[in-house]
Amino acid sequence: MSAGCKPCMDSERQKLLQEISKVDFVLKELNLYLDTHPYDQQAMERFGQFNALKNKLVKDYTEKYGPLVLSIVDMDSREWKWATQDWPWEGGYN
Amino acid sequence: MWNYEKRLQYPVKITQTNPQIAQVIISQYGGPDGELAASMRYLAQRYTMPYNTVAGVLTDIGTEELAHFEMICAIVYQLTRNLTPEEIKESGFDKYYVDHTLALWPQAAGGIPFNACEFQSKGDVITDLTEDMAAEQKARTTYDNILRLVKDPDVCDPIKFLRAREIVHFQRFGEAMLTR
Repeated sequence: MSAGCKPCMDSERQKLLQEISKVDFVLKELNLYLDTHPYDQQAMERFGQFNALKNKLVKDYTEKYGPLVLSIVDMDSREWKWATQDWPWEGGYN
Repeated sequence: MWNYEKRLQYPVKITQTNPQIAQVIISQYGGPDGELAASMRYLAQRYTMPYNTVAGVLTDIGTEELAHFEMICAIVYQLTRNLTPEEIKESGFDKYYVDHTLALWPQAAGGIPFNACEFQSKGDVITDLTEDMAAEQKARTTYDNILRLVKDPDVCDPIKFLRAREIVHFQRFGEAMLTR
């Protein structure tokens, strides 16, 4: 996951974004698994735990660096960072 | 409806441009077994799927495929950024460039435009799910072929992630076949 990480990049920001990607990957896997195993209580509990963790991490990321989703935005900012910051296909933080 | 997350499902950070391999990888955007066809296949099939859980599989895998063609487009875009006219001519990218400049356009590696005839939406549970399982294996084979042709680790890393997802999706569609 570190490929192309340039020295000028903020490693703390990169690390937090990687953490969000990892947690979201677990959520995606549980989501697909639950579609075909809809009565697995343990998987449902895990989904709830990881969902809460993802929301917390995305909120932290948004406050420190900028928005990842439109449902969690920093209302104290004077700038609409959703549009002013780089888009993920540019490389950078993605 | 859908919401956008402003990140890639798996990071794409390519340091060296290479228009020659971009022409190969673009097949997983608009080619016969590409991610665009995958997404449209599953999202089209779900309306007539009589089982809620299987419609869920089609919706959620179809959604993940949208994130996959975003990654493929990011790879192609980063491989072809800021090319010089000499690099474009030497790599054989001139035939694409003349029609699209450096924009993304869904086509197969051989230049054939994206075509909905590459996938079926047949309205029969067994027919559609069997098509979907075959589609995941065809995409996995295409990624294997890409990994034989491409050696740049910046490119191979996200390609290996996408290849592994085909195997997971095949597994989930196989379980969906057992739904009653």
